[in-house]
Amino acid sequence: MSAHATAPVRGPRQVGGPRRPGRPRRPLFGNRPTRSPLLRALVKHSVMIITLTLMLYPLLWMFGASLRPDNQVFTTLGLWGSDLTLDNYAAGWSGGDQLNFSRFFLNSLTITVLSIVGNLLACALTAYAFARLEFRFKKTLFALVIGTLLLPYHVTLVPQYILFNQLGWVNTILPLVVPKFLATDAFFIFLMVQFIRALPSSLDDAARIDGCGHWGIFWRVVMPLSIPALGTSALFTFINTWNDFLGPMLYLTEPDSWTVSQGLASFLDATGQSAYGSLFAMSTLSLVPVLGFFVAAQKLLVEGIATSGLK
Amino acid sequence: MAHATLRTRPLLGLGLGLLMTVLAGCGQSLPDHSADELRGRGDIAGGIRFSWWGSASRNDRTNAVADLFEAEHPGVEVRREAADFGNYFKRLNVQGAGRNMPCVTQLQARTLGDFTARDALLPLDPMIESGAIDVSDIPEAVLDTGRGEDGRLYMLPTGAAYDALMVNETLAEEAGVALPEPGYDWDDYVTFLRDAAEGLPDGIPATALRGGLPNFFIAYVQGLGEHMFDGNQLGFSRELLVEYWEMWEEIRAEGLANSPAANAEEPPSPEASYVASGDVLSDNRPGNALTPIQGTLDGQGEGQRMTSLPLPSGPAGQGNVLITSGLSIPRNCANVPTAAAFLDFWANDPRSGDTYASDNGAVTNTELLRRQLDDPELPDLKKRELALYQRIVADDPSIVLYPPGYLAVFESAFTRAYEDVAFGNQTVPEAVDTFFAEANDGLAR
Amino acid sequence: MRQHDPGAAGTQVTAGPPATPRDRRDRSRDRRAGRRAAADNRAAYAFLTPWLIGMLVFTIGPMLFSLYLAFTRYDLSSAPEWVGLANFERMFTTDPRYFDSVKVTLTYVAWSVPLLLAVSLGLALLLNRGMRFLTGYRALFYMPSLIGGSVAVAALWRQIFGEEGIVNKALALVGIEHTSWVGDPNSALHTIVILQVWTFGSAMVIFLAGLRQIPRELYDAASVDGAGALRRFRSVTLPMLSPLVLFNLLLSVVNAFQAFTSAYVVSNGTGGPSDSTLFYTLYLYEQGFAQLNMGYAAAMAWVLVLGLALFTGFLFLSSRYWVHYGDER
Repeated sequence: MSAHATAPVRGPRQVGGPRRPGRPRRPLFGNRPTRSPLLRALVKHSVMIITLTLMLYPLLWMFGASLRPDNQVFTTLGLWGSDLTLDNYAAGWSGGDQLNFSRFFLNSLTITVLSIVGNLLACALTAYAFARLEFRFKKTLFALVIGTLLLPYHVTLVPQYILFNQLGWVNTILPLVVPKFLATDAFFIFLMVQFIRALPSSLDDAARIDGCGHWGIFWRVVMPLSIPALGTSALFTFINTWNDFLGPMLYLTEPDSWTVSQGLASFLDATGQSAYGSLFAMSTLSLVPVLGFFVAAQKLLVEGIATSGLK
Repeated sequence: MAHATLRTRPLLGLGLGLLMTVLAGCGQSLPDHSADELRGRGDIAGGIRFSWWGSASRNDRTNAVADLFEAEHPGVEVRREAADFGNYFKRLNVQGAGRNMPCVTQLQARTLGDFTARDALLPLDPMIESGAIDVSDIPEAVLDTGRGEDGRLYMLPTGAAYDALMVNETLAEEAGVALPEPGYDWDDYVTFLRDAAEGLPDGIPATALRGGLPNFFIAYVQGLGEHMFDGNQLGFSRELLVEYWEMWEEIRAEGLANSPAANAEEPPSPEASYVASGDVLSDNRPGNALTPIQGTLDGQGEGQRMTSLPLPSGPAGQGNVLITSGLSIPRNCANVPTAAAFLDFWANDPRSGDTYASDNGAVTNTELLRRQLDDPELPDLKKRELALYQRIVADDPSIVLYPPGYLAVFESAFTRAYEDVAFGNQTVPEAVDTFFAEANDGLAR
Repeated sequence: MRQHDPGAAGTQVTAGPPATPRDRRDRSRDRRAGRRAAADNRAAYAFLTPWLIGMLVFTIGPMLFSLYLAFTRYDLSSAPEWVGLANFERMFTTDPRYFDSVKVTLTYVAWSVPLLLAVSLGLALLLNRGMRFLTGYRALFYMPSLIGGSVAVAALWRQIFGEEGIVNKALALVGIEHTSWVGDPNSALHTIVILQVWTFGSAMVIFLAGLRQIPRELYDAASVDGAGALRRFRSVTLPMLSPLVLFNLLLSVVNAFQAFTSAYVVSNGTGGPSDSTLFYTLYLYEQGFAQLNMGYAAAMAWVLVLGLALFTGFLFLSSRYWVHYGDER
């Protein structure tokens, strides 16, 4: 899809575009013409690092605790204990025949990837209609989108369960995935509508003059320019799905089909033996895919316009 | 526009159709059981679902028992569903709404009422009469905890838990105080706390603040020979609760207990409790918490020892009651014979008892219990837990019939009302009034 | 109004060859209006099809069902029994915990929404450009948001705000003694506000993505006009970002009113101590799934919807005056 080259960009609201070679940029680093920028940078970075340390303390503590023997997890507020061990990782990863985190990671990943694909496709289509087209009942239907955001999901849990049970979908991933392909998550529709509306419509007009229909405008103009929105949506879908507990708890009851969040919950039980060490170890590991995805998606967020926009 | 409407009309129809299905779902029909099925007779074949609560270590034991059952009956598949205690019952409620409860559902006597009141369970008596389920080795008093209001058996009790007074023996010795004698009463208990407090180091209270713990109060009521419930209403008097909470306020005022704020933040799992980290001398905990608590104490590296005692007695006898859990067969189960066979296997097969090793309360089958006590492999702490159970059962503990909504209404309101007292938001009589109003109103719903 | 090309609508579903010469010829305004509307309608509903199906099948049914339940007594098992307005009556007259939950929720909204927006916008501006290692910083600042409502959070929060937590240890160094912050009804709610603000990452990412969409040329033009940093922020950044400010404002208010997971995890599902973190939806959940008063829970939900709808309506009305869209001329 490289047809966006056809859209000539005009007017003061130009988006992206080639960097003007002569644009003056003050270097923050590098040549350091005086000492003060360096000093400023130093201050800036120190502030950053101090803030980060404070903010990340809980996570660092968790990581430290995951390296202590199971019965010493809570013995210190410091980050490291005296004996370091990887036992919690080994025990947590495969604590028994039914509790196998490689399985849980695979399950979570499957659901997450499908959810992202579904959400992006379905919500982008819907958002395009609401953001760019005039049609009957538009206001009413959009009010409905917002309306579904306002209802606490707990009250629709039971009727939905009954519905999925009648469809024979309980104990499959269908109740968690199929609705995503039907844009049932109003949050993402709204998010994308806001992003698409922020794009100058002169671009659509230009594409239209070049003979693009709505489908063409959607695919060749709006979608490439919405990469930051899509990246954001993908990221949030990833996190929401990865951390979702209630949905999998209701619909994926058999340990074979458990997700990571269910696996984590299974380390704790008020009526029996809990395994905090394993909990912290696996919680740490469960952050890795999400963090990796963030790092990858960040490129899309940051470079979105510059690389995939109009060249 | 015309075609827009045309486009949406079939969809609207489809939506309405599905809505009707949803509404109809509430009245979904249950399987028609034949007389034989109701007696647990028929082919032991096909699949059943089995659900329980617990964490990873219990899941492993439970799975092993289910595997044994599958090996015993080739062609039977046991599909397993586990969750932690809190989420387990919420899910069960949703499954109940969809008439989709697992064929073998683990319940607790304290939650049994929620399900019998909604007529969700099959009575097990016909299956016992037909011989499909054998209960001859389960003591009558224990079996009775699985009965509903109508006197029929709806849950086969398989594990009996009890609450115990956990005392850090090492700290008690250092404080120069003797453990309460067998048969001690509430006065002795408070005296024990007072004596201990004198010898304990600063910052280690004699007990965790437990005025809001329903199980402790139940022991108080039993010791007085009073009743917890009268049908769907509270069975004890306001004065009795005022007296009880005033006792706790005295304990608190004398500095024998930890602060209400510290108490409120304490995590529910025994490993992370204050008594397990040696930060309080004593606590009321389920008897099976002895092993995890000692585990954390060992991790502290100071060699402290934990012991468990029965709860205080009263003029009417011992305060301890049994908190049983067991297995039920819901009405929506389409494979009753296999479910009944599973119940029987769980309750009576020696391999089942040895494998599960009383992970969720002492095994109720006396034969299996004896095997475990004789087993040289069974850890000493577990044996002490089981021995205390034997002592309590021998004393003929009274049975509490928990009304529907016990956990959700009674326990939640009780804990909250005492918190209001401890944080100084309400006086004891005010809190008792609030509690009575809320509990009686909620239980009547 | 935007210009529409009438022929365009006919080709929207197949991405095939877009424009025919005939399309371009059809440009007379009067003939166009009706056909364009019709074509736009067709196109719009084609784009909306997946959403419409999902809406009708998975959303509207359960929503209407819950509305019906609000007027019934339903224990999740027996058939719902019509009770008229009894649930609402109980809510507003005889249920003190309902008002407690409203009070807790309003306090929470008042604290967490402004804090969250300020922190996320501030950090988004800071982490947008002009510094080294920005990608690394962004990832690190985002990390707390990744852990979400995990069961581990409760334990972590006690490590910080518990009686023996790091905050109290730090205070002890300067000679202040304090009880547990999570266990004290006076401060428990604020620890959850902090938990919410700690996970500001999502709002920050939305702002960041929005900042990326602002053409640099606008800044350059403003600089040429001699605008300082503050002026540039007020006349370029804020207006261009306003659709996302609206989004984040609306969403953080809705989320705050529906806050559930953090309180559920930290208070172990009780809303304690002493109901001090009994959020609206937490109470709703307790009524519906623990006490099995699903009718009452549904009534609570619809009262919340009504309140939020009023607020949202007001926000959208006011947005005309302060939100700037790129599709407006």
